[in-house]
Amino acid sequence: MSYYVRKAAFYLAALWAAVTLNFVIPRLLPGNPVDILMAKLQQRGGTVDPAARKAYETLLGTGGGGSVFQEYVAYLGNLLRGDLGVSVSAFPAKVSEVIADSLPWTVVLVGLSTLLSFLLGVGLGAVVGWKRGTWLDALVPATTVLSAVPYFWLALILISLLSSGLGWFPLTGGYDVVLDPGWSGEFIGSAIYHGILPALTIVISSIGGWLLGMRNMMVSAMSEDYVLTARAKGLTDRRIMIRYTARNAVLPSVAGFAISLGFVVSGSLVTELVFSYPGIGSKLLQAVQNNDYALMQGIFLVITIAVLGANLVVDLLYGLIDARTRDRSTVS
Amino acid sequence: MRPKLAAGLGLAGLIVLFGLIGPLLTGDPATIRDIGLTPPSGEHLLGTTLTGQDVLAQLASATRGSLWIGALVAVMATVLSGIFGIVGAYAGGAVDEVFSLFSNVMLVIPGLPLVIVITAFVPPDERGTWNIALVLAITGWAASARVLRAQTLSLRNRDYVAAARVSGEKTWRVIGVEILPNLLPVLASQFVFTVVLAILSEAGLSFLGLGAANSSTLGTMFYYAQNGFALQREAWWWFVPPGMVIALFGGALALINFGIDEIINPRLRDRPRRKRDVVAVEAEIAPVEPDAVLTVRNLNVVYQSSPPVHAVKNVSLTLRRGEILGLAGESGCGKTTLAYAINRLHRPPAEVTSGSVTFDDVDVLALEPEELREFRWVRLSMVFQGAMNSLNPVTPIRAQLQDALRTHRPSMSAPDRELRCAEMLRLVGVDPARLGAYPHELSGGMRQRVMIAMALLLDPQVMIMDEPTTALDVLVQREILNEIKRLRDELQFAVVFITHDLPLLLELSDRIAVMRDGEVVEYATAEDVYLRPEHPYTRQLLASFPSLTGDRGALIR
Repeated sequence: MSYYVRKAAFYLAALWAAVTLNFVIPRLLPGNPVDILMAKLQQRGGTVDPAARKAYETLLGTGGGGSVFQEYVAYLGNLLRGDLGVSVSAFPAKVSEVIADSLPWTVVLVGLSTLLSFLLGVGLGAVVGWKRGTWLDALVPATTVLSAVPYFWLALILISLLSSGLGWFPLTGGYDVVLDPGWSGEFIGSAIYHGILPALTIVISSIGGWLLGMRNMMVSAMSEDYVLTARAKGLTDRRIMIRYTARNAVLPSVAGFAISLGFVVSGSLVTELVFSYPGIGSKLLQAVQNNDYALMQGIFLVITIAVLGANLVVDLLYGLIDARTRDRSTVS
Repeated sequence: MRPKLAAGLGLAGLIVLFGLIGPLLTGDPATIRDIGLTPPSGEHLLGTTLTGQDVLAQLASATRGSLWIGALVAVMATVLSGIFGIVGAYAGGAVDEVFSLFSNVMLVIPGLPLVIVITAFVPPDERGTWNIALVLAITGWAASARVLRAQTLSLRNRDYVAAARVSGEKTWRVIGVEILPNLLPVLASQFVFTVVLAILSEAGLSFLGLGAANSSTLGTMFYYAQNGFALQREAWWWFVPPGMVIALFGGALALINFGIDEIINPRLRDRPRRKRDVVAVEAEIAPVEPDAVLTVRNLNVVYQSSPPVHAVKNVSLTLRRGEILGLAGESGCGKTTLAYAINRLHRPPAEVTSGSVTFDDVDVLALEPEELREFRWVRLSMVFQGAMNSLNPVTPIRAQLQDALRTHRPSMSAPDRELRCAEMLRLVGVDPARLGAYPHELSGGMRQRVMIAMALLLDPQVMIMDEPTTALDVLVQREILNEIKRLRDELQFAVVFITHDLPLLLELSDRIAVMRDGEVVEYATAEDVYLRPEHPYTRQLLASFPSLTGDRGALIR
């Protein structure tokens, strides 16, 4: 089986597992989420007809009635149609609408800052590993301490220093609320300005992991025979460092992207709350605080799908940068 | 003990101690006073909260709570990762496939969102410490399982484990006695990692108000600080200390992990950067013989370890134009160190302490780094022992051949470079169509031919070959040796050929140097070495090769 087919199959399996987990969790745990939702719906002035109840029961489980299997099929059918139910905290909006509004904010913020953090961390790690034994070694413990700091705490510190203290950045939010969201230059500028501090939080917290991993692999790769050959060939230091050492040392970082991405996404969700950022993380927490189970589950699914998609892309990329993977026949 | 490990253990120990003993000394954290939000003072070292509770007392009991959760989760997650990682890898086959697939799926599903969804469904009054710990363990074991699986797989194939299995020991015994002890460093490092992760996750959960009911952790401190608008009221003493405790504890555990990593992988240990690779002060350049291309005089190389190892002792050799000089000796006799030192490729802690290396009229040991770089490969190229690993695995061989030309002949045009590489491949008997191939797509013999082609690219005067045929089977070895002789006759470069195979050298070389314990004990023409060996060690070497007829003449192949 080719590398790409195997990867695609794996992610399909993971997707199925996530979708099924989402179905099983509310049914396994105590409590009666459907009643809570119906009560909330009534408070908000929603129609409390049997159809609404049925929709929630498909999602969260019933106290009896139809078989679990029928519910599972109906649930999958709803998912395929993109029907994730009605949000009670953002009533009368549908869950899919709430997600569609907030997802772009998170994808741009987390995507860009993760990319930036990866590039910076891997780049710095390569230099620190290459120049081992110099003052640069001090960067390793320093960034590791930073990565042990909770994201939200760092966010609080940054706000109190740079926003409240120096007044360089806005306190919270994703854009200046007097502006209308749209593709105007003014709005985009405001969004970037508001995004700097959350992005900085994510970059500072996640860079240490990349840096350390890359540095260690650099150190290992430097004693490989092909690096010795490159030195004997009289290549420039720059070329040996980039084309020979770093090119090989970066492979495990790319392969380990999945693990790291999970951490970054988790941290970013809480960071969004601190900044009241209009992304999906804030919405998830809003859903939790309001017992808006339908929204919560929809967001969990969307986050998981986004993470799986990102990992699939990285895995496919890995096949491109390491020719050996494509020819290997066993699952790693 | 390694300093990082000691520092990490010390710091972590202090924090644990603070969590254990602190609550006994700092009084009741819940006592409410009417001195809300007072800054740190002599009476309240870390000030008070909005309701006048002592922050230090709260910090102590919160540290205890967080450590307890961290330990609980780490124990449960380690058990889970052990089951799915170690047992799966040991059992192999379908069990391993399923376990590994399961771990990988759990790994790519983001942890915190899953934890949030699960805990949100648990009614607040049922959210106990144990439940929260269980959820964190269930969502946090997969990364460790993957690491343990890889480690177990490599252990499983070691000889002593195979021996235990074959001798019919029970599975649990093999795992418990042969495998687990060897996994301990990895298990310890994964445990430490899980503790940090659990404390961070719990802090995040509690900060969101999803923590265990009635618990007191660093996360709940954040929660109350956030809801009491500590930030807006600039009550830094309320929310800074819990973060510091987490950061310091995480930093301490990271230091412990560095220490463990350095034990597992000695390459990662700190090493002072060497300023110079050559400490020979004034090299006396001996008068060079007229047809000598490479002259080594009284060369000494010392590994500056404790105790220092004198690997090359007073070696003097002369290589004439077009000559093949054989360098023979057992492994560890210093022949590779000598070869590297000639090209100054030796790495710290190795140092050239005295002697001279003269190439034509160039004093190699005196070259500045940039001059040395320009000298390498142009005048002196090398073919290394492991053809398997001498080629960069991630780029096609075209790029690896071309970059020598790119660097040393920058004016050469791209088509000319391509032509030159193809020409060299043809010369060593490799189809130029293979230029686009990656190293792993070539056989061992082909790779070594590619290395030889690479070494010939710039028409060097000297080529040093360090056991170039050792890893190859006998037929391929023979072909490559013939190739080297033919190329030498055709292109007239000189060769230093290093091997432990004396009979091979007798046949191939013009002259032979025999090394033992860093010294050249015999240095003569191949014929003299064979017929009139002077040193007892040479005689011993010659006698040690088996002969079919009982006659020493059987050596010549």
